[in-house]
Amino acid sequence: MWTSSLPGARNLQSSGRPNLKWRGYLRRHLTALLFLAPALIIYITFVAYPLIGSIGLSFTSWDGVNPVREWVGLQNYTRALSADDIMQQALLHNLIWIVLETIIPLSIGLLLATVLWDGARGRTAFRTVFFMPYVLATVIIAIIFGLIYNPLYGALNQFLRAIGLDMLAQGWLGQPNTALLALIMVAAWAGYGFHMTILLAGLQNVDMDLFDAAKIDGANAWQRFIYVTIPQLSHVITLLVSLSLIGGFKVFDLVYVMTAGGPGYHTEVVATYIFKQSFQQNFVGYGTALSIVLTVIILLVSVLFIRLRERGGET
Amino acid sequence: MRAKAAQRDPAGTTGDSILRTAPASGFATPNYGLILRGTGKYILLLFFAIISLMPFVWIVGIALKTKKEFYDSPFSLPAAPQWQNLATAWDIGHFGEFFLNSVIITLPTVVGVLICCSLGGYALAKIDFVGRNILFYFFLAGIIIPFQAIMIPLYYQLRDLGLLTTYLAGVLPMIALGIPFGIFLMRAFFMSLPIELIDAAKIDGCGDFGVFWHIMVPLAKPALSTLGIVQFIASWNAFLLPLLYLQKQSLRPLTLGLLYFQTRYESDYTLIAAGITIIILPMILVYVLFQRQFIEGLTSGALKG
Repeated sequence: MWTSSLPGARNLQSSGRPNLKWRGYLRRHLTALLFLAPALIIYITFVAYPLIGSIGLSFTSWDGVNPVREWVGLQNYTRALSADDIMQQALLHNLIWIVLETIIPLSIGLLLATVLWDGARGRTAFRTVFFMPYVLATVIIAIIFGLIYNPLYGALNQFLRAIGLDMLAQGWLGQPNTALLALIMVAAWAGYGFHMTILLAGLQNVDMDLFDAAKIDGANAWQRFIYVTIPQLSHVITLLVSLSLIGGFKVFDLVYVMTAGGPGYHTEVVATYIFKQSFQQNFVGYGTALSIVLTVIILLVSVLFIRLRERGGET
Repeated sequence: MRAKAAQRDPAGTTGDSILRTAPASGFATPNYGLILRGTGKYILLLFFAIISLMPFVWIVGIALKTKKEFYDSPFSLPAAPQWQNLATAWDIGHFGEFFLNSVIITLPTVVGVLICCSLGGYALAKIDFVGRNILFYFFLAGIIIPFQAIMIPLYYQLRDLGLLTTYLAGVLPMIALGIPFGIFLMRAFFMSLPIELIDAAKIDGCGDFGVFWHIMVPLAKPALSTLGIVQFIASWNAFLLPLLYLQKQSLRPLTLGLLYFQTRYESDYTLIAAGITIIILPMILVYVLFQRQFIEGLTSGALKG
């Protein structure tokens, strides 16, 4: 076999005989190619090639059936960016999602992480519990909370009625003004344990000398937290914020299962809108253009994050 | 990221072993402020622990109640646990079938990603060839490409290949989507191994593949198990991909199966809750048993990606 054809080639190639040197060179490249072949073939066939296909389709008005894919130039893009109210609404929802999805789990996570770091018993147990929703499928969590939000038999309204707050009981997912917020709360619930775990790992690296010095200088616990702990966590916080940013643009499962974008378009996000356009209404060309817009947004965010991280690494 | 963290942490304090005590716990006289703070701390932790667990407890509670009991007293514990609810849901929901489908889709995905990425990552880390860096960035770019960017043409591509609504439509794209992160992880790991190991094995007469299989793979077990867990969770919990490419009841994995089950028996709360319980309890059990591996795997995935 190719693996054993030339034992010790590596030692021979340094002997300087051009023929052997060349053979070693060739062999190295052949080996590398064989090692990389499985990954390359699958990755190119199922990621790189369809990505190029996406870009191509986004300039057409294809409906998924017609053998002719009519070229429409930038028409899909101009429509997506300037003339599509639902797309703009969806983008706005993604932005609201991102802001709240960054603030809520991060603050709860930070609070819990500092408390655990401060030396609480049962740290492993608490961490296991907080992290648990992150391991389960979003679909399952969405179904569970769909039941919890049910106006009649859901736990939330039953709980409100049980403690005498009947007037607060409502159809959480059915009303325009509560639906999006109700979804975001589920995502926050599922995410804070993950934030806490990452922050707790970050806290292990906080320089205790600085901490003690601040204490000697008379800084109280809050000041130590703000001026000593937080700056040292900035790396980890940047990471979490960018994960929330990227995740907030990609969000699909939760919305699709719980509201499917409704009522009306009040919880429509870009990913559900793309799904509807391309697979339910068969505006394949337009849906692809929307997906490219989403991809470009995510790319920009990622590049921004990599820049931030590199800058953070230097200081 | 992790390497940096390790540098800043020479004492090796990362991990569970170290439990820092409250800064002023050495005081001899009882400090009521501190005691209050200590209690407050646990109240806070318990409060959030309840918030995290409550939805699951509620669901399992409903699953074990009779319908009448559920409507009459939604928050009480089930008077007599109705275990047969679970059996009923298992039967009418076809959960055995869905579970098997999830296994059929997830296992080859995990194995495929492990094979592709350990081989590829090794080549990118330890074999010197022209275009090595370009190839690495080519793979790396995949980390930031969202599934939405490829899902539409991929649908038609799978259809043309005759793979749509076959298990392969759930497996192959899933492997492809896992490759960028896997290559990144395995390359970083193999780069941390000294080149002398390879040279020594080659002097002993090992071929390239022999070196990889007998020397590198056994050493790479920690990295492989991290990658395995990340990929397992991604495949087992996948939703959009099977929703698009496995549109046939007999191919549905658990996530999709549960969704259709819930849509079909919408008004039957105890039945739906029983279905959810069947799915989440084994998952939670596995998670609790291997919580350290799960948490470390999934967070290092985020820290490195």
